[in-house]
Parts: sequence; structure tokens; C-alpha cells
Amino acid sequence: MDFITILQQLSSGMIKTVGIFFWTLALSLPFGLVIAFGRMSKNKLVSSIFKFYISVMRGTPLMLQLLVVYFGPYYLFGIKLSQGYRFIAIIIGFVLNYAAYYAEIYRSGIESMPVGQYEAATQLGYSKSQTFFKIILPQVIKRILPAITNEVITLVKDTSLAFSLAYMEMFTIAKQIAAAQTTMIPFVVAAVFYYIFNLIVAFTMERIEKKMSYYR
Amino acid sequence: MKKTLAMLLCGAMTMALLVGCGNGSADATQTATEETEATETTEVESETETTEETEAANPEADRTTFVVGFDAEYPPYGYMDDNGEYTGFDLELAQAVCDMEGWELTKTPIDWDSKDMELNSGSIDCIWNGFTINGREDDYTWSDPYCDNSQVIVVAEDSGISTLADLAGKNVGVQTASAALSVLSDEEQQKALADTFGSLQQFSDYNSAFSELLAGSLDAIAIDIGVANYQISSRGEGYVILSETLNSEQYGVGFKLGNESLRDIVNADLKKLAEDGTVAELAEKYGISDLICLK
Repeated sequence: MDFITILQQLSSGMIKTVGIFFWTLALSLPFGLVIAFGRMSKNKLVSSIFKFYISVMRGTPLMLQLLVVYFGPYYLFGIKLSQGYRFIAIIIGFVLNYAAYYAEIYRSGIESMPVGQYEAATQLGYSKSQTFFKIILPQVIKRILPAITNEVITLVKDTSLAFSLAYMEMFTIAKQIAAAQTTMIPFVVAAVFYYIFNLIVAFTMERIEKKMSYYR
Repeated sequence: MKKTLAMLLCGAMTMALLVGCGNGSADATQTATEETEATETTEVESETETTEETEAANPEADRTTFVVGFDAEYPPYGYMDDNGEYTGFDLELAQAVCDMEGWELTKTPIDWDSKDMELNSGSIDCIWNGFTINGREDDYTWSDPYCDNSQVIVVAEDSGISTLADLAGKNVGVQTASAALSVLSDEEQQKALADTFGSLQQFSDYNSAFSELLAGSLDAIAIDIGVANYQISSRGEGYVILSETLNSEQYGVGFKLGNESLRDIVNADLKKLAEDGTVAELAEKYGISDLICLK
């Protein structure tokens, strides 16, 4: 089996890996903001619930969370699982987990804003939501971008955890080819794929950071 | 209030996992008692079968698909071929059964560690993948055995290991949740031998185990003979199978406990396929003719 064939077989897995990546990113970034708000709520009860959520999500392995999301409905409620649920479970698992990390990053950014800005905005007649979306959030995004980049890069590599639900993403297929052909080449291809993927991510994030640095 | 609810949910999550894990390890730990009980249960099962047969035939009448769960890293029984398609002796046999019944075969590669969760939750109909019956008699509803198997030890040619006794103090590798592992951890079988090993290392797949053997960090691998033959023939020189085997056992198709109606259909079809020579033909194609026991 030559290199090109291995690459062709891995390509279907690559598409699935990229799929997990984009779905997770698209859903967990906004969801993380919601959690960040909950975490910063003035209501003690609400904030402690979200605090607990974050601590569970960060405190248990993602692989275990994926298993719970996928097999949980059957073992808890006796619901029969269908084939289509596999991918949905993976996305739910990844989003719940990553949103917790993003929430803390958002919080660090939002809480770093000086109180004076809020006071000035109130004096100028901005409403609460206007203050947040027009004044605070744009600055927050600038500040937290490097931290977000870190998490996004981790996400690219974490997609391989989908193997625990037998989802045929690239690394799962790489292992299968390696087993059938008794060769290590698929792993080399996998390593190169992850590296290039992350190069692109890092490059894109750097460009965004540069675009955002308009006051400097 | 909400906090306690969250706590409860968390507890439930943990429970669910414990249950899952419990099923997974059951086949490794229960072996000793099952061996003796096995004969009794088969008697009980055959009694219940006769009474249930008339009712049980119905639920499978409108079946259109047949979802087979298998470990895609387990050649020659189930693996990915050069074209990226899943194939292997067991999968082709499953296809032949589906052709007879007019079912559509869905090949679902599973993570071997979660096979029980996959089967119990209904995401697969059966486990058909060089699946050892011995030691798991009570955990699944089994088809007739179709293939003989034995657990063997593979070592590097120049290792100087030629008998099981030579393995004392050596590092031995085995697949997680595999039949070889349960043989080595069963008091009645080879537990005494396993205790003489320097260490018993568990791997998720045999490919990495063979790489470690080649690299020298492992001295031996405990493995199914069919898989051993495939690995050695595709890797070439340098490995030998010890002539002493750990045990002999049989492969069957594992269905969810109590799913007799589906099992009976597959059993009947397997018998027909054995009679018309399809089984022998497939066995020759995958080089396991010596091992077939379905007559």
C-alpha cells in the first residue's frame, strides 16, 4: 500500500475531523459567553451553579464526558440509540466541555475592564447592553485572543478523542490502516495533518489579532 | 434546590459510567464461575427456546438492516482493506447471512472497550469479530461456535524464549478486554503462569504491541492464533509462535443477552452456509481453513 492510497483513505476521516472542529467552535464560542455571564451573575445561586458546571467540565476527562453523553440516554432512561446520534453526541460533548473553558477566558477578559469605562458609558447615556456590546466586548475580544488561540489549537488535537465513540475521524482510521497494513506510516500522515491544521489556525488567529490592534 | 439537582445529575452520570465499566470488566472476572455454570445455562436456554420460539419468531419478521459491531483493528476477522472498505472473514460471513435474509448489512466499527455499552444500548445488533465464547457464556446470547481458536504466545525469533516457562520475569503484552487477557487472569487457567511474568502490559490494539515487541520493550505477546498468523505473515520474518498454547477456545457471534430470536435466524443461516461450502471458501480466502469448526 503506497503513500497516496493511505492519504486517500485518510481524507474521509480528515473531513470528519474538520467537521467536529468547526461545529464545536461555532457552538461553544457563543455558549461559553452565556456560561461566563452565568458565572459572573450577581445572584449567588446562579453563579454557584455555573461555577459547579465549570468545575465538573474542567475536572473530568473529555473522553469520559463523551461516553456519558452518548451512552447516558440508554443507561439512565433506557432510550435506544440510533446510528445518527453518534455524531450529535460527539458535538454535544465537545461543546459542553469547551464552552466551560471559553467561559473562564471570557470572564478573565470582562473582569479586567476598568470600572471607569462603565461609569463613563452610563454618563454618556449608553444602556447596559449597549455598553457591553459596543464598548466592553470589542476590547475583551482583543485581550483574550491569545488565550482563545491556545484552546482552539487544543481542540484540533482533541478531535481524536472521538474514537472513544467509534466515530471514524482521521486518527481512528489511521489506527485501522496501521493495524491492517501493519505499518506506522498512517501515524506520520496524521501527525503532519494535525501540524498543518494547527499552523493554519495559528496563522489565522495571528491575522485576526493584527487586525484588532487598531489602537496601537 | 437547583444545586442539589445538579449534584444529583452528577451522581447519575457517575453511576451510568460505573454500570458501563462493570459490564466491561465482567467478562474478565467472572470466568471461573461461569465455566461450571455454562453447561447448566445451555440446558435452561434450550428449554425456554422451545416455548418461546413461536412468539419470538415475530419480532424479527420486519427487520431490514443488520448492524454488526466489530473491532476494525482485528485482521483477518475484521479490518480495513486496501480500498478503504471494511472486510474480513467475519464480515463476509455476516454479509452472506444478510444476503440470505434480504437484510442490509451495516458494518459498525466499535471501540472494543465499549462493546458491551454499544450492544446493550442497541446501537449494534451483535458482536461478530473473532469473539471468544469461552469465559463469556453467560454474558451474551451466543450463536453456534464457527471457528476454533487458541491463545498463543508470540516472541521475537532471537529472544531465546521457547517454552511458556521461559516467560518468567519477562514483559508480556496483551489486548485490553481480550480473551487472552481473561485466560491469563483466570485462576483456573493461566493465572499461575501470568504471575511469573515480569509484567503484563495491556494494549488497545495489537499493532502497537507488535511495535513494542520489535523495539524490545516487550518480550512476548499473548494473542489469538488467527491474528498472530496474520500479523506474522504481513510483517515477515523475525517472529515465532510458541508451540505450547495457553488454551483452546471457540469463536461465536455474540447477541444481546435474551435476543434468541435473532440468534436463531443467524444460526440457521450459518448452518446452511457451512453446508453449501461458502464458509469453507471464505476460510480459505482468509487463510484460516484449519480453524473452522462449523460443520
